[in-house]
Amino acid sequence: MRHITNIAGIASLASVLCATALIGHADAQTAGAPEREAYQQVPMPPGFRVEIGEVDGPVFADPKGMTLYYWPHTTMRNGVTGDPKNASNCTDTRTTKTAGLMSPYPPGLDLPELDRRKSCAEVWPPVWAEADAKPVGAFSIITRKDGRKQWAYDEHALYTSILDERPGDVRGASTRRTGGDGPAARAVAAVPPAIPPGFAIVTTTMGRQLVTDEFYSVYWSERDGPEKSNCDTACARTWAPVLASAAAQSKGDWSTFERSPGIRQWAFRKKPLYTNVLDPTTGSLQGSDVPGWHNAYTQLAPSPPPSFTKQDSPGGVVLADAKGKTIYVYNCADDSFDQLACDHPDAPQSYRLAICGGGDVDRCLRTWPYVVAEPGAQSANRTWQVIEIDPRTGRFAKPGQPGALRVWSYLGSPVYTYAGDKQPGDLRGDGNGEFGGSRNGFQAFFLRDEFFNNAS
Amino acid sequence: MKHRANVLISRTLFASIAVSATVATASAEGGIENRTIGYALTSARWAIHQTADGKSECPEGFNEGPREQFKALFPNGGSVEKTQLAYESMVRYPLDEPMKFPYREARGPTGLGLDLDGKQGPEDFISPEGARGIDNQLFRAIGCTRLFRTPDGTYAHFTNMWVKEFGFNRILMELTDVDSLSNDDSVNVTLYRGRDRLMQDATGANIMPGGSNRIDTRFGARFIHRLKGKIQNGVLTTEAADVYWPWAVFFRRPGGYEMRGLRFNLKLTPDKAEGFAGGYADIDSWSSQLVRAWSTHHSSYGGLSQPSLYPVLRKLADGYPDESGRMTAISSALSISMVQVFIQHEPDTTLAAAEGAAKRK
Repeated sequence: MRHITNIAGIASLASVLCATALIGHADAQTAGAPEREAYQQVPMPPGFRVEIGEVDGPVFADPKGMTLYYWPHTTMRNGVTGDPKNASNCTDTRTTKTAGLMSPYPPGLDLPELDRRKSCAEVWPPVWAEADAKPVGAFSIITRKDGRKQWAYDEHALYTSILDERPGDVRGASTRRTGGDGPAARAVAAVPPAIPPGFAIVTTTMGRQLVTDEFYSVYWSERDGPEKSNCDTACARTWAPVLASAAAQSKGDWSTFERSPGIRQWAFRKKPLYTNVLDPTTGSLQGSDVPGWHNAYTQLAPSPPPSFTKQDSPGGVVLADAKGKTIYVYNCADDSFDQLACDHPDAPQSYRLAICGGGDVDRCLRTWPYVVAEPGAQSANRTWQVIEIDPRTGRFAKPGQPGALRVWSYLGSPVYTYAGDKQPGDLRGDGNGEFGGSRNGFQAFFLRDEFFNNAS
Repeated sequence: MKHRANVLISRTLFASIAVSATVATASAEGGIENRTIGYALTSARWAIHQTADGKSECPEGFNEGPREQFKALFPNGGSVEKTQLAYESMVRYPLDEPMKFPYREARGPTGLGLDLDGKQGPEDFISPEGARGIDNQLFRAIGCTRLFRTPDGTYAHFTNMWVKEFGFNRILMELTDVDSLSNDDSVNVTLYRGRDRLMQDATGANIMPGGSNRIDTRFGARFIHRLKGKIQNGVLTTEAADVYWPWAVFFRRPGGYEMRGLRFNLKLTPDKAEGFAGGYADIDSWSSQLVRAWSTHHSSYGGLSQPSLYPVLRKLADGYPDESGRMTAISSALSISMVQVFIQHEPDTTLAAAEGAAKRK
């Protein structure tokens, strides 16, 4: 299932957006071939491989290159769902009733469009193991209730997603943070990144961002040279060098250098790294507001459509259309035991119609219009695509269908604006839906969120 | 995102120390320094007059919420579309007409807040201190809904927790041209949003005066408001102004209330400011914010039916008529508490100093 609550990421915003420190960084880092995140070489089953997701970075994939996912056991408001370790609850049986996992609605309601409804295993095809398959590294083999063998990673049963169409697609779930009152989301089987101790990587809408292991942002300075810091004592009061131990080894993108006698500092792609002591919280990017200072990314997310803009809002920087209206994504998962997604044009549209128009299609189209692609607009990457939608049904249009709209989509689902937003940076539609838009509703597309980490 | 509270606190303290290092830490007599004093919001709740058992203001009891209404509307269950999604549709697109369920409005002569229109009308309340003409029809609308009542109502509980905790809600109020906190016939009052956490005591439960806070001039630009005021007998009163009040609650989603004709009435001391912010809440934006901030689930814990509340707000609206004469806003009051802080006007003072020093070398 696609976890839309924390739907993932964007984009080197390069030439389309206003010049800021962030864009400056994007320009600097995207000069030449796009950087790809390095990962640890780990043993995999025969034929398995690693694909680099445009947004999510390195992911495990099956022999056809399709991304692997698992379904963590998750405690909901009124019960538990997901897979326990070494077992699969995702079966061929089609669920027909709600499970009542989320308050306040009771279990036992009839799920929509039962004649078209797929089983969990149809939406999430298990990754079968041959009868003679042998465990490899963290990959093991579980026996399903019907006796069939399935691959598992870190004791989690593995699946692919029917939403993924090509190698490298990661549309079934996201490596962005999950939790709260969102669905029992599937997780991406991500490949461990090749980073030294003391660092971590978070997936954000801007890219795979380097942070400390305490999740504070890491920065680099334009004033520094390759493996040379020009941040002196006064500067270092604000910009704390990320220090390396004497035993730390240089490897790949990572190196250390002696910034002063006996004091070693980490560098990433030869850029000395720092934290900003004035960043008030984890996830804050305030340091990037200082001219010459930038966040560090292992890889940047793909560019959004060229006509899009970015706007300052009360919550941070949001993606916006050409007129400055905030872009929203729609998130949805049903309340079945399977927690299947309902945010995709192939899914039941009744959930979205209830939120966007109270069940009224015309009101929905007025209140939450699609973002129509400009004539001639082409998809430049797999993340941002032009798709054709039947606006009356919300489903994919048939080829040549009269009245179809060519609209922008993010990771396979349309994006929207909100009629209640009157000026650039307005967020009046944000959180509109069940559980703040986490389960069935709309959330603004944050490029930077100084307060709630909604960009990560 | 993983949270490490201990790390965060120590980090924040360090940041606060760094910021405040450039300013004098000792305040002048009366807390005023350079004819200026600042405060930060630590508590805000919709002002509701409550008696111990609620029988005085809510003689018919309290309102029922989504759980009870859902059970009554759909006793035999049904399809998701015709039950759950039908109810969610009503939450987002409520009717002007009342639902079939009884709605209990607060009653009685006593209410909290301010006289917003300078008149004494039949719907006005009398304050517990005897002041007449109190305009607070929002109290009438929500006073018998447990969610908004204290101490058990989750609205009051969570909003106050997050008013302090979420930097998004960090309202700062700065008084300038102040000669005395007792009497001054003209002061300037400016509202900002701060960028820093508040200084807690050793227990972590209480906010201490004397912290420092930088101004969020970028993302907080639309929260900056300037008002004229005066101080009489230690009470600050201001003129009215339209104010956008940041108030994020659940789900870590940004939000706020659009208040029209908001004015303050605050008892000032060198350490704190307490009292009311009274004004007219724009009905549509107030309802929209409530819907976005309080899901049907959360509304259920406190008997808040948003489809039932909306027509009541419409009915009780008493300010800002539109061209047709229909009122668009409802009188209300926020009971607020603030603590003294040093407001930093140079958001990057320390950074700039550091950068400047680095460049000179």
